[in-house]
Amino acid sequence: MSTLALQNVTYKYEGSSKNIFKDVNMDFEKGKVYTIVGKSGAGKSTLLNLLAGLDTATEGSVTYENENLAEMNRNRYRAKNAGIIFQGLNLLTNATAIDNIVLSMNISGVSERNKKAKTYSLLEKVGISKEKATRKILKLSGGEQQRVAIARALAHDPELIVADEPTGNLDKQTEDSILKIFSSLAHDEGKCVIIVTHSKKVTNIADEMWGLDKGVFRQMTKDKK
Amino acid sequence: MYIISNAIKNLFRNKGRNILIAAVTLAIIISAVVTLTINNASSVIIDEARLDIASRVDISIDLFTHGRDGRQTITVEQYVSFADSAYLRHTVFQAEMQAWFGNFFAVGDFEMGLTPPPDPNMPHSPVGKLTGHSEPSHISGFGTYRHFVEGRMFESINEAIITEELANLNSLQLGDIIHIESAFQHGKHFELEIVGIFSHEVDEVEAFQSIVWEMMGFSLPSMISQNEIFTSFETLMSVGWETADGLDMRLEYYLRNPNDLVRFEAEVRAKGLPDVFGVTINQAALDRVTGPLEGMRSAAMTFTIVILILGAIVLVLVSYLAIRERKYEVGVLRAMGMERGKIACGIFSEAIMITALCLIIGLGAGSAIAQPMADRLLAGEVETQAEAVMGAEEGGRVLMSGGQVQTDDPASGYRPISDIEVAIGMDVIIQIIFIALALAAVSSVIGIIRITQYEPLKILRERA
Repeated sequence: MSTLALQNVTYKYEGSSKNIFKDVNMDFEKGKVYTIVGKSGAGKSTLLNLLAGLDTATEGSVTYENENLAEMNRNRYRAKNAGIIFQGLNLLTNATAIDNIVLSMNISGVSERNKKAKTYSLLEKVGISKEKATRKILKLSGGEQQRVAIARALAHDPELIVADEPTGNLDKQTEDSILKIFSSLAHDEGKCVIIVTHSKKVTNIADEMWGLDKGVFRQMTKDKK
Repeated sequence: MYIISNAIKNLFRNKGRNILIAAVTLAIIISAVVTLTINNASSVIIDEARLDIASRVDISIDLFTHGRDGRQTITVEQYVSFADSAYLRHTVFQAEMQAWFGNFFAVGDFEMGLTPPPDPNMPHSPVGKLTGHSEPSHISGFGTYRHFVEGRMFESINEAIITEELANLNSLQLGDIIHIESAFQHGKHFELEIVGIFSHEVDEVEAFQSIVWEMMGFSLPSMISQNEIFTSFETLMSVGWETADGLDMRLEYYLRNPNDLVRFEAEVRAKGLPDVFGVTINQAALDRVTGPLEGMRSAAMTFTIVILILGAIVLVLVSYLAIRERKYEVGVLRAMGMERGKIACGIFSEAIMITALCLIIGLGAGSAIAQPMADRLLAGEVETQAEAVMGAEEGGRVLMSGGQVQTDDPASGYRPISDIEVAIGMDVIIQIIFIALALAAVSSVIGIIRITQYEPLKILRERA
């Protein structure tokens, strides 16, 4: 049973007559990793924004647990149900790594007593040491920032993880460990992980792979990639 | 709670921006503290002066408009009845009687004084004045140009005090009885016991004007101040007066509230006060006393208004620029699912914290600056006014009947308030808190309104 679904979704930018994609129907289930591939500018990130509740479809609907995102409190959805890893990371650059994550937990209403301890544990999981955890984001490398962004997306233990090029800035070793985490989140913890990527390594962990080309989504087999 | 803790962290995360906002806020608060403190202290003093001067009502003929017409149309009883009013807190009774001395000479009158008039029913030539006071402390000059040589102030009925010159001329001593009659109303006579003898210093202006009067042939004994005898108002009224002929009633009515002047006038008019009489306060004196303070207060208020307006504009601009800087931060928070209201609350909390800090520093600094600032401003105002009134005081002096030097300047004798003690009171603190809240609102609301109207994706796309 799908947790997130696109039903006849058409999207075009405000003021534009050109559809980015048209009549898209997709179902995303818990316990699976999905990857979306396609050329730059094909509309992958736009699709991710719809799934993350940051934008609404021009036509059709995106539903989460059978509830239309356009009609529900999308702030609450982003805060509680979805963990978003942006391509641009979108971290609070003048705050520390730990502050970014604790703030995310606070916004999500995480009731954890010792949020800092949980944060350190999360950061450690993505390869950020305690010392680096207290540094301001601007004083971390691109790869470290990306890992902080991943940790932040996982901080409130969301059912759905939406990631846009989450391993773009990571070295091979870190990429492997991050992918293991994504895989484990889906396969061991039963979460739905949706990743937009260009990386073949990422597609390797996918249970389903979708391609976006000229506004059309097609399910792809790993052989076809 | 996390909104507050995040707001506190944000204060330190964005030091430069917040220091700029704090500097502007602090400047506004210090200025407001100084000017409001000065303004409030001035207001208190002005109100006190107003109560002191503007509450004193004179009922007299408007000589410029009516000449001396109608002087007889008001009786002594009416004057006294006016004092019976709920609007008054106090009345000082005072009256001057043109006097003829029965058993002693007046200074400057060796021929006429004891000479009985040809017709006792005809008015005598006055040789002096008998002045009745309900409150001896209100007799002018005691402690300055009048000093007791011996004896004391009158206390009981039929007691009087006389000048040293009058006593020496007639070898009068304490305990002697002097006989005084009304120069204008036959049969109104007094037997008064001398209980005090005082000296009366004649200043240079009075001496000079006496010479001028003498040279012009107008040197009458009744115009010589040494011939003024003081007794109680009760004594003066004890003979019973049907008319005010030869009497100059000078009652001072003190209002409970200076704003009751119109109501008090309506009341005395209803009691029969003719239109030729004016019911007035000494506005000129009030203006002279409070002028510099009013000037200072006005300057302080103008400064406050200018500072508040300019400060608010600067604050809005700084905040606007700061908010533009923060647009990305807001976009990230919104993308993380933070509600608009919570973001607004966070921004407002930051503004409140900056303002609260500035408020504490501003109150301390403002209170330290207020006193020297007030002294300097007031000194300037006093100097300006002193130059303006210098000519009016000296040039307007004339010698009046009875020998007293008076001036045609109604504010003569009044000095402007030249000292002020300013201190921050609760009223200023409350006013400053309101101003501070307004500043916090100004520095955050515009930004909040602007920033929260954006959708997070729009902000983040702009950034990208």
